[in-house]
Amino acid sequence: MFQIFLVFFLWDTIFANSQRIVFGYDRQKMLTYIFGLIIVRALVLSSKANEVGGDISRGDIINLLLKPISYVKYWLTRDLSSKGINLIFAVFETILLYFILRPDFFLQGNILLLLSFATSIVLAILIYFLLLFTIGLVPFWVPESAWGISFLMLVVVEFLSGALFPLDILPVSVQSIINFTPFPYLLFFPLQIYLGKVGTLIMLRGIGVSFLWLGVLWLLMRSVWFKGLKSYQAYGR
Amino acid sequence: MSNNFKAEAEKTIIVERLVKNFELIEKKDGILNSFLSIVAPKKKSITALKDISFTIDQGELIGFIGPNGAGKTTTLKILSGLLYPTSGFTQVLGFTPWDRKPEFLKEISLVMGQKNQLWWDLPAIETLKLNQAIYELSDSVFRRNLNELTDLLEVGKLLNTQVRQLSLGQRMRLELIASLLHSPKVLFLDEPTLGLDVVAQQKVRDFIFDYNRRNKATIILTSHNMDDLIDLAKRVIVIDKGEILFDGNLQKLVEEFAKEKVIKLYFSKNTDIKKLEEIGKIKRINLPQVILAVPREVAAIAASEILQNFPVADLTVEEEPIEDVIRRVFKGEITRKEKRLLKPKASDE
Repeated sequence: MFQIFLVFFLWDTIFANSQRIVFGYDRQKMLTYIFGLIIVRALVLSSKANEVGGDISRGDIINLLLKPISYVKYWLTRDLSSKGINLIFAVFETILLYFILRPDFFLQGNILLLLSFATSIVLAILIYFLLLFTIGLVPFWVPESAWGISFLMLVVVEFLSGALFPLDILPVSVQSIINFTPFPYLLFFPLQIYLGKVGTLIMLRGIGVSFLWLGVLWLLMRSVWFKGLKSYQAYGR
Repeated sequence: MSNNFKAEAEKTIIVERLVKNFELIEKKDGILNSFLSIVAPKKKSITALKDISFTIDQGELIGFIGPNGAGKTTTLKILSGLLYPTSGFTQVLGFTPWDRKPEFLKEISLVMGQKNQLWWDLPAIETLKLNQAIYELSDSVFRRNLNELTDLLEVGKLLNTQVRQLSLGQRMRLELIASLLHSPKVLFLDEPTLGLDVVAQQKVRDFIFDYNRRNKATIILTSHNMDDLIDLAKRVIVIDKGEILFDGNLQKLVEEFAKEKVIKLYFSKNTDIKKLEEIGKIKRINLPQVILAVPREVAAIAASEILQNFPVADLTVEEEPIEDVIRRVFKGEITRKEKRLLKPKASDE
């Protein structure tokens, strides 16, 4: 919440002259980006899967391994239900902030873009889940690493996903490298679609890259999972 | 399906030449050593199970005993599919445990005294309903099993209480219900009475006995509680340092491992008890009664010697109490030497 105010007033000051365009954003779109972040963050970045590492290093995973239930699907279900709850709060928060700050929003009217936006959100949710889940499996080998490694992951995600600033204010060369990683497809890319800032071709390419990452991460997760189970020592309990 | 037929034709549990090695990373104290262990970890391999073999029939209730760190829990974890063994053959109900097939997991349960599966912030009934969904139990089966279990364990009134507000004994009994709701055919119990008071222990014990009989369930029990073993297990497997030292009837364990016999004496008049020390170890003096422990081989000679030299009103020669033998097992005093002597006898079971 506090962070939102900070970011809002920062950009509000930069766009004090309402005709001004910075990095290709006018005042309205930048503020929509900031507000869109609240909703998209609540959907994508609020994840239960960051508890997987702790579950494994504490040994609570034993309860689930003993049951006829898939561990991945169990966490995906918990993930999605917690997102549901988060979304309710995020909508509430947005409405509240809207009335406090009274910005003029950019409303996307193109149905096709809205559908693509929704698709990119679903992809982002799954990619982020797989990233966190796979990272959460490291404690199979190094039980004490649970907290550190997921924290490192959060820092990287925060910076490279566009949670702090729109990524297209970075130099083009840096952007093109970042675009090969899965991170910009978590927040930045969906919001770009919503704001109508990408052409059809780039949009399709972005969705294609997201699908590719989804597949790669799925395979990676499965291989790490099976290797992890083999070296799991189920200490203590 | 073919797996089920296979299981009926064969033993419920087969373990052959099972070996499990663990790799440990050694860390010395201090910050410098912590860094060193990251850069160049010192790995140490520990053999938790060395080549163990046994089979168990359907409906058997077996006590698994041995000192701490003997390999009991490791064996149970392998049998329930939590750990991959280093080598060896293991089959439970016709399945390879670590494949963790849903059909296998629906038929087993592992209960650990120090493990919680109940959701801490919710009443127990919520966890039980979640388990109903996970094990795909119909409402009628769920109701029937739940009523039966709550009656047996006398916890019907506690189902709607938040778990964090329950006492340890109450919680343990509800944990048992959560683990047994799907009526597993094979049950692994690791210290099921840990931390319970005497009354609660007895309730859990009666329940295990009953469950074994009613459902023809196969049960392996580990416990450091003497009464658990004496009340429940007919057959015991003694394990220490990853090796099986004895496998057979509990009564036989006493016969085989008891080194001493106990002579109970009632003196008819006062006498110099000190002289008794030359014959055996005085265990208790409560005049006119004296209890004496003598080596098995010389028990008869010792008895006759006492009868000749002391004013004895009554004398009985008894086996060493079962508790004492088991206590020696827990202390790890039963050694491999004895095992070698025993082997031919134990294997013709």
